[in-house]
Amino acid sequence: MGNISVELFGKKLRNPVMNASGTLGYGKEIERLWKISLLGAFVTKGLSVRPHHGNPQPRIWDLGYGMLNSIGLQNIGIKRFMEEYSQFFRRRRTPIIVNIFGFTEEEYFECARVIGHTSVVLAIEVNLSCPNVKQGGISFGKDPEVVRRIIRGIKSETDIPVIAKLSQEVKDIVEVAQAAYEGGVDGLTLINTIPGVVNDGGKFIRGGISGPFLKSFALKAVYECAKRLPIPIIGAGGIMNANDALDFFLAGAKAVQIGTATFVDPNTIPKVIKELKRRYKEGRWKRDL
Amino acid sequence: MESIIEKNEEIIENHYILNVRVKGRIPKITPGQFFMVRIEDREVFLRRPFTVYDQRGDLLSIMYKVRGRGTMVLSRMKKGQKLSILGPLGRGFHIGKRDFYLVIAGGIGIAGVHLLMKRIGKKAKLFYGTSSSLGVSLVKDLMDYEPVISTMDGSYGYRGDVVSSLREKIDGFLGKDLEVFACGPKEMYRSLKELLSKYGFACQILWEERMGCGMGLCFGCVVKTNDESDPEKRVCFEGPAFSLWEISL
Ligand SMILES: Cc1cc2nc3c(=O)[nH]c(=O)nc-3n(C[C@H](O)[C@H](O)[C@H](O)COP(=O)(O)O)c2cc1C
Ligand code: FES
Repeated sequence: MGNISVELFGKKLRNPVMNASGTLGYGKEIERLWKISLLGAFVTKGLSVRPHHGNPQPRIWDLGYGMLNSIGLQNIGIKRFMEEYSQFFRRRRTPIIVNIFGFTEEEYFECARVIGHTSVVLAIEVNLSCPNVKQGGISFGKDPEVVRRIIRGIKSETDIPVIAKLSQEVKDIVEVAQAAYEGGVDGLTLINTIPGVVNDGGKFIRGGISGPFLKSFALKAVYECAKRLPIPIIGAGGIMNANDALDFFLAGAKAVQIGTATFVDPNTIPKVIKELKRRYKEGRWKRDL
Repeated sequence: MESIIEKNEEIIENHYILNVRVKGRIPKITPGQFFMVRIEDREVFLRRPFTVYDQRGDLLSIMYKVRGRGTMVLSRMKKGQKLSILGPLGRGFHIGKRDFYLVIAGGIGIAGVHLLMKRIGKKAKLFYGTSSSLGVSLVKDLMDYEPVISTMDGSYGYRGDVVSSLREKIDGFLGKDLEVFACGPKEMYRSLKELLSKYGFACQILWEERMGCGMGLCFGCVVKTNDESDPEKRVCFEGPAFSLWEISL
């Protein structure tokens, strides 16, 4: 099989395929089907300083062309996650990317502090764009000045590489990415879900749209930012198969994340990795990984 | 997993039994476990969860009610068509070694206790409630167990809801080492809780919530419980069988 390993933030990853945050639980759940060590890196669910309950039911809507979720960032908190799970990933020799969010700028800095320094953590992915929580992500990621400040603040708390995760809903994603870069960010994940609203029997509920519908928006974000910024970009949004993943690599992504596709077929990630290896070996991928 | 439809039959209006033959082996299913079924349609993207109604080797049955686009499209599928299914998933009923069981089902909730009755029926009494005599067809298979049937309109058996029929009969079961199993709508669980709180029986129920993945990955299906360290449980992963006493109703 082809060797599709990549180097990211000075570390060698088995392959450039990750799960997207919030779509593979805490990492152990999927092991009844496949080993987590198949991944290039595991991305955690969005974690906060304190545990967070999330939104009431219902939380999931099928849109046909994708889905809308209003999970509301339910999580057990960074501290508990690190205590209960980091050993598991260490044993599996699988680097983790810790996805963080906060309700205030200070909470973002606190997250970085709580993670501390541990070798199993490849990077911190900063969710600046989650549309689910009223006072949350959305307002931070929309303002380039705030983004610059948050990234700078996190960088001053930690030596771990920092990734900014952005959403397409901002006016100009390149401008926000540029601000993150000026703040000292080491990489970008593009993109998060796009905010939407569903009519749930007369009640209008806000959530994030994910799935195939996102792909062109995500590809544009990756393409535009890769042209302008000299930092690695991780592509996410609507990747359903190896062809989709290749589009992102060819647009300039160094790695990809697969989210919603796992819900439709929980073996999507292993299938994509296998197919990418095959194509690479056959030379049907003219690109230096 | 691939499967082939052997039968997809309407039993009463909007209620179907689907039999599929699974390619490859499936383990012995615990009553209450479910499968995620891929329904191919322009408007259906996510899989839908269905509790196992029956299993005979590699033949699997589900009973479903048409409630939305997904089940509507499923109801039009024909013998010989392929269906991608994923499972068995979740934690089903824990069946211990009690002397006797009371099994309570409301409406389409019968689908969730059918396999259970086939396993423990000799040591169980089934209480089944439905809206009218039409719904009695859903329990046809279990008539040998002499279920107590109630209908809301009184057109068959007891008049009233299933929990009321249980209330009338419950004294006859006292003194035994009993456990209650139930599957039905949330209002049924509420009145069951009220009734059973006087007796303190162990009671397991099947909880239902909309699902994204069915495998514990998305946290779309959580239900609030009284567990202080982890109040929000995933129905697909920690459930769908829960103790009636741990769920916030
Ligand atoms: C159920 C669900 C939960 C998610 N939770 C998070 C989260 O906690 N933090 C985050 O940054 N993104 C979260 N996302 C966004 C995904 O990581 C990803 O960016 C987005 O879904 C687009 O990729 P996809 O189309 O492959 O799903 C979530 C998405 C879904 C569907
Ligand atoms: S349906 Fe995804 S966690 Fe239960």
